[in-house]
Amino acid sequence: MAEKEQLLEEMRKAVIEFDEDRVKELANRWIELGYDANEAIFEGLAAGMEVVGELFAKNEYFVPEVLMCADALYAGLDILRPHIKAEDKTETKGVVVIGTVEGDVHDIGKNLVKLMFEVAGFEVHDLGKDVPLEKFVEEQLRTDADLVCLSAMMTTTMPGMKKVIEMLRERNPNVKIMIGGAPVSEKTVEMYGADATGKDAASALEEAIKMVSSLREMKRRKEI
Amino acid sequence: MTPKERVMNTLEKKRVDRVPAFSGMGNVTVAGMRKHGIDFASSHADARLMATLACSTYELFRFECAVVPFDLCVEAEALGCEVNFYAGKSSILYPTIKTKVLKVGEELSIPEDLLERGRIPLVQEAISLCRERLNGEVAVGSYVLGPFTLAGQLIDLNDLLKSSFKKPAQVKALLEQLVEPLAEIANSYAESGADYITVREMGAPSDVISPRMFKTLVQPYLKETIARIKAPTILHMCGDTNMLVEMLNECGASAISVEQKNDVAATRSKLGEEAVILGNLDAYGVIVKGTPGEVEQAVKQAIEAGVDGVMPGCDIWPEVPEENMHALMQAVEKYGAR
Repeated sequence: MAEKEQLLEEMRKAVIEFDEDRVKELANRWIELGYDANEAIFEGLAAGMEVVGELFAKNEYFVPEVLMCADALYAGLDILRPHIKAEDKTETKGVVVIGTVEGDVHDIGKNLVKLMFEVAGFEVHDLGKDVPLEKFVEEQLRTDADLVCLSAMMTTTMPGMKKVIEMLRERNPNVKIMIGGAPVSEKTVEMYGADATGKDAASALEEAIKMVSSLREMKRRKEI
Repeated sequence: MTPKERVMNTLEKKRVDRVPAFSGMGNVTVAGMRKHGIDFASSHADARLMATLACSTYELFRFECAVVPFDLCVEAEALGCEVNFYAGKSSILYPTIKTKVLKVGEELSIPEDLLERGRIPLVQEAISLCRERLNGEVAVGSYVLGPFTLAGQLIDLNDLLKSSFKKPAQVKALLEQLVEPLAEIANSYAESGADYITVREMGAPSDVISPRMFKTLVQPYLKETIARIKAPTILHMCGDTNMLVEMLNECGASAISVEQKNDVAATRSKLGEEAVILGNLDAYGVIVKGTPGEVEQAVKQAIEAGVDGVMPGCDIWPEVPEENMHALMQAVEKYGAR
């Protein structure tokens, strides 16, 4: 038991210190000892990333540091994921379509949010960057996604999000829509008719989980 | 005073009759596009269309400048990147870089005939056309990217940002290589008739990299670039610049330009009366999405906080309501008297 806690603590630390090799070593050790992969993902990797988010919010870490932490997290995830128990795999938290809107080629923020969704067990369909607006609608219909996440890093591409939201609402009024990016604020959410924004990847995830569970609840009631 | 005298005097910290309202960045409007029957996508590839549109914001609203080009891809295109102009799209989209040409650590080859490459000659021509059209009454501006931001156009941003941490020497070597080409491009614009040059280093605010990294990695090359430009210069950075303003000021530009995240009153007290500070209107949230009353308030606040020139914090999104542009200019006249 003590060793397990020790390993998790070290895993968190290695993510925070963006020590990719150390994360790999610890993840392998975890699997060798036969512990639950899911526990390491949540209590080790994701918990470490949460601290990274706090450091970012406090201006101790900046984007380069966060990117390196994300790399460390991915390194661990690659090792742990194949060992997730079958019963943990069956129920995904929700289906997400994510992408950066047309005209915008920034994808760092989008990729971080995507990473958090993956860690949390969402099924993620990543459309990439500079995505034609209609593509979001098509992909939502194709995958029956619960949630569509739109990203824009510049004021000059933000208005594209409004168009996507209108198109999505028209086709599927129930879908939840989250928007994010440097110029996006609570006011933008209201102005564009989105459901939420997250000021960073961790709070985006928190919002997403809330939205998807309320959506599931709604669907369930309809079925009854 | 003519608008040009007002702008140039501001940049030289000389007396003005009132605070000017102008930009170092894009400020074309849909109103201008309609008036001249020009669509945005084709304006990037035709000097005459570009100049006509650039001058239209002054002609329609008296906004006190004409700035070309409108996109951020000119230098990267001249260095070999492919650009997406989004031709045929009904909505307004700014050109973007389609293919990156470099990885960190690779040698960048700078063509000898750089000034003949891509759309650099076109921008030079558009500058001359603006100058002819405005007849010395209104200042003509142009811009180049800062070395770090240009590196972000040439290299995948993930790669650039991580390398800035892990392999700073390699990143520095690249930035050093970009100084001279950027200064050459800027000087060719000045020779074509640009009255002032903005250096847009928007890839380096403290929402992205640490102030420490700004100081060691970005500032030295920014300083060098600005020192080599033989025209009045504006150093613009968007995003959070509150921790950086002293360092921005040290870069030696004639003026610094900041956006709405900057606390201008605090910046003024840090930099003193001699510094020329331009800003800090929210180019989208207020100028485009606000009411005329909110635009007026924002102008008033910026002037009270101590800007020398009222400037949008970014390119104005073209779909700006005409009444907001009028409100902006009226507010400057109302509150900007000196």
